[in-house]
Amino acid sequence: MTKEYVSEIAAFIARYLSHMLGAGVHTSRVVRNSKRIGTALGVEVSVHTSQKTATLTVREKDGRNMDTMVVDIPAFPISFEWNADLSALSWAAFDRKMTLDEIRSRFDELAAKPGMNPVFVLFMVSLANASFCRLFGGDIWAMLITFTATMIGFFTRQHLTRKKVNHYIVFIVSAFVASICASTALALGIETAEIALATSVLYLVPGVPLINGLIDITDGHIQIGISRLVNALMLIVCIAIGLSLTLILVKDSLL
Amino acid sequence: MKIILDILSDGLFAAMAAMGFGSISNPPMRAFPYIAILAATGHAARYCLMTFGGVDIVSASLVAAFIIGTGSVFFGKKVFCPMTVLYIPALLPMVPGTYAYKTVFSLIMFFHGISSPTKGSEYLQEMIFNGAVSFSVLFMLAVGATVPVFLLRERANSMARGSKFI
Repeated sequence: MTKEYVSEIAAFIARYLSHMLGAGVHTSRVVRNSKRIGTALGVEVSVHTSQKTATLTVREKDGRNMDTMVVDIPAFPISFEWNADLSALSWAAFDRKMTLDEIRSRFDELAAKPGMNPVFVLFMVSLANASFCRLFGGDIWAMLITFTATMIGFFTRQHLTRKKVNHYIVFIVSAFVASICASTALALGIETAEIALATSVLYLVPGVPLINGLIDITDGHIQIGISRLVNALMLIVCIAIGLSLTLILVKDSLL
Repeated sequence: MKIILDILSDGLFAAMAAMGFGSISNPPMRAFPYIAILAATGHAARYCLMTFGGVDIVSASLVAAFIIGTGSVFFGKKVFCPMTVLYIPALLPMVPGTYAYKTVFSLIMFFHGISSPTKGSEYLQEMIFNGAVSFSVLFMLAVGATVPVFLLRERANSMARGSKFI
């Protein structure tokens, strides 16, 4: 094994790892998968992770060549599809003894797969939030208003995210837009208007980072787990700010 | 009869909520039916425990999350998805979002009533209440769903092995 080959493996594993961490996969799985690819290629991999960067060392088994690098973790949108596909790729590399070139080209294909249609997601999220309103005891009118409010709010979020606006501002604005739309329920005198107003912003709650953070903590990756929780907590504060703006405008009280 | 209908509709709406909130995070299409089944069972179980069993929200969430986690071990192998791909979306309808933002509201109201000694401490109490509930529920959701991973280490960590979808 030449030094160049070890560096090439390190560069690929760095890319693999940054894609997985950036797409919101919990840390222990990322580390396990990277080590598995390393084993398949005959090297040992050690990884240190933090919120924005990761460090990895790739060492030749029974040899002296090694390479260390620090990689930035880009902020990809959360993707469970990458989680499933890239995990499967690590197993395929391990079981079928794939070469580095094969793994790399398969990785590029999997990473380039298009995501879900944004219009379909918009519809699904609105439906989900309306069902949520029902779970909290809202009637059919409250559900309809929540559906519409979520649709407008989530559309705002998709649009602003595409324009690359800072994500705290995106959350404040979308929470405000969704809740001000839902506050029409108060004006229309619907019985369960309060429920419609309270559930209209719940589509923004960062449930995946919250659960991921706690999974990391139970797995022993406590530092990155806490970072993820704090990140999600900041977003919840933003949701509360957006919603409180509406409540102050229409009700003059928060609780 | 009314009770059965209530339980079924709770499961149905929870399944819809899970699929919808899950779709933001781009899960593979083949996982959707199993996400729906897991979310419906888990949420309906929590509903039964809380309404008929008188169990508190924290313990009920732990039980529901354990059911969802165990289910994802069996379904994961079928669709070659890691457990988290199935159980995180299924847990989303149970994430205590309202408690979480009410914690922030109580804090804001505490600033608002800071000069009045009685009102200020009332809001502070409310903040601790909401914060404690939301953190405990969230913690129990994650722990409940991860326990099956600890019990079945080998099986739980090789869900995607031999996938025909890559």
